[in-house]
Amino acid sequence: MKSLLGAVLAAFLSIPALAADKNYTIAVIPKGTTHEFWKSIHAGAVKAEQELAAQGITVKLFWKGPLREDDRDQQIQVVENFTSRKVSGIVLAPLDSQALVAPVATAAQAGVPVVVIDSDLKSDKQLSFVATDNFKGGQMAGEFLAKALGGKGNVILLRYQVGSASTEAREEGFLDAIKKHPGLKLISSDQHAGATREVAYQASQNLLNRFGREVNGIFCPNETATIAMTKALRDIGRAGGQVKLVGFDSGSQSVLDLKNGDVQALVVQDPLKMGYLGVVTLVQALQGKKVEKRIDTGVSLVTKENMGQPDMAALLAPPIAKYLKE
Amino acid sequence: MNLSRGTISRLLQSGGPFLGLLLVCGLFALTEERSFIFTGGNFKNILVQTVIVAVGALGMTLIIVGGGIDLSVGSVVAFTGVLGARLLVAGWSPWSTTLVLVLVGGAIGLFNGAIIAGFRMMPFIVTLGMMGIVRGSAKWLGNNQTVNAPPDSPVSHLMARVNPTEFWPLPPGVWIALGLAVLMAILLRETVFGRHVFAIGANETAARYSGVRVGPVKAATYAISGLLIGFAGLLQMSRLTQGDPTVAVGLELDIIAAVVIGGASLSGGAGSVLGSLIGALIMALLRNGTNQLGWQTYSQEIIIGTVIVLAVGLDQWRQSRRRG
Repeated sequence: MKSLLGAVLAAFLSIPALAADKNYTIAVIPKGTTHEFWKSIHAGAVKAEQELAAQGITVKLFWKGPLREDDRDQQIQVVENFTSRKVSGIVLAPLDSQALVAPVATAAQAGVPVVVIDSDLKSDKQLSFVATDNFKGGQMAGEFLAKALGGKGNVILLRYQVGSASTEAREEGFLDAIKKHPGLKLISSDQHAGATREVAYQASQNLLNRFGREVNGIFCPNETATIAMTKALRDIGRAGGQVKLVGFDSGSQSVLDLKNGDVQALVVQDPLKMGYLGVVTLVQALQGKKVEKRIDTGVSLVTKENMGQPDMAALLAPPIAKYLKE
Repeated sequence: MNLSRGTISRLLQSGGPFLGLLLVCGLFALTEERSFIFTGGNFKNILVQTVIVAVGALGMTLIIVGGGIDLSVGSVVAFTGVLGARLLVAGWSPWSTTLVLVLVGGAIGLFNGAIIAGFRMMPFIVTLGMMGIVRGSAKWLGNNQTVNAPPDSPVSHLMARVNPTEFWPLPPGVWIALGLAVLMAILLRETVFGRHVFAIGANETAARYSGVRVGPVKAATYAISGLLIGFAGLLQMSRLTQGDPTVAVGLELDIIAAVVIGGASLSGGAGSVLGSLIGALIMALLRNGTNQLGWQTYSQEIIIGTVIVLAVGLDQWRQSRRRG
């Protein structure tokens, strides 16, 4: 049996791999595929593909998330599989700052360079780190909340998930800003929302069951947590500004909540730009150009008042449909 | 004489899954990506990705042959992984850490087995309960966080792929898994204990009347499987270089699927180590191949689900033909 397998192996080992200059295959590996945030990243990657094609550089994109969302082992497998696939390079949003270190090092060793986007990696093997300044985003949320509450009140931080560097930086930024206002009292900061809307909703309900009457302001560091907390606030009849809610990221539901006044502000990143710059940076490096180790893609605070401005509108509703046919 | 007849029936039994593996290989060979899929480096990759499911499937084969099931193994992998990371951080040596993890896994298995055999409770319910208890304990032990193991510890290199573009050298984890598979095959096929496990799975009452000590044998299957799961926890930690209390959710289902694709019957009395290993390989190969073809994630889930139903359906069809 072993020899049979060996024969199959040997038969295909001899076929040479296709490779040509200015022809790149690039795998873009998000943390998951169901969040709208990742669809914007995908759109940005496709935008890069189209623009590079106009310059005569052919890029073939693979868009591939882990089989089970937020499963680190599954994401490692995807990175390994594309390393074996000998893609020209990988654009990766790591689910964990440590668990993905070894696979990225292995990829680099096998000659597949990696650009990290969105969340940082505790490694120096990546070509570049293209992401939002999440700490600053968290600070902006904290400052806004302090102003909206007039500098005093009880606030809650509903964390996202352990080990996710991007959201942890937001949480730290938020706590940093809150500390500067002695009138603000942090009544809960140790609960985690988790990855899906359902568990985030349950966590929000449980939190509000305990603190619903005393809380004045809440910060949620990602899209699912924001949507879930808004829903939970509506359930107990304290939405619409009674409790000031600042969220992070824009999905169609949270934009609706912002318009309705259930969410007071959203800190938004530019995921489309992140996906775009991830691919463009990788291609530049593949062409032998020098790339920056850290590329900031910007962060903005959107409120009901400024959400009509064209630049904010584009951040709230990235032109995904223009790039992705679904 | 007896031995050679056993060998033939064993080959027949694993023939189905092996044909399945060849079929999957053949399908991928028709694609343009074959030049990437059929490389030494990628086969090493597939083996490394199979190891954790495979080690789990060794113990699960024993349990399922004996007519039982264990739903708690994913949680035990997470628990022992977190425990291992904490021990390494606390300065324990790799050897003693490994020993503790294997023993803790075995103890949890023995506990499961003792309840199932002692109180004659449904394995499904007991291990479903244990799944929650151990998962919760893992989160408690990890203080709701991932515990980063020292990345330079020898344990962290168990699954590391040195020279990723070549088949050799295989990481130690693969060799250990192969060694364990041989031991398990001998235990299941060549020992009195193994024959008792088959007898209990085929007909528990008959086994009891013919003098098999059903309770202790059953409990032992869970305990032995537990030892292996403890080791799988070490491998998982090595792969992530951290103990993650949320890892391996649903791993038990992958393991059960591998065993079932490998020709085991969930009603007990049938199954083989080789078949289970091939079952695990089929699933890893499907995942790997569809990955490299750039297929959507949902298509992988649909395909693997279909393969499970087809494999079991075909197996039943073959057996009914053989009988008829």
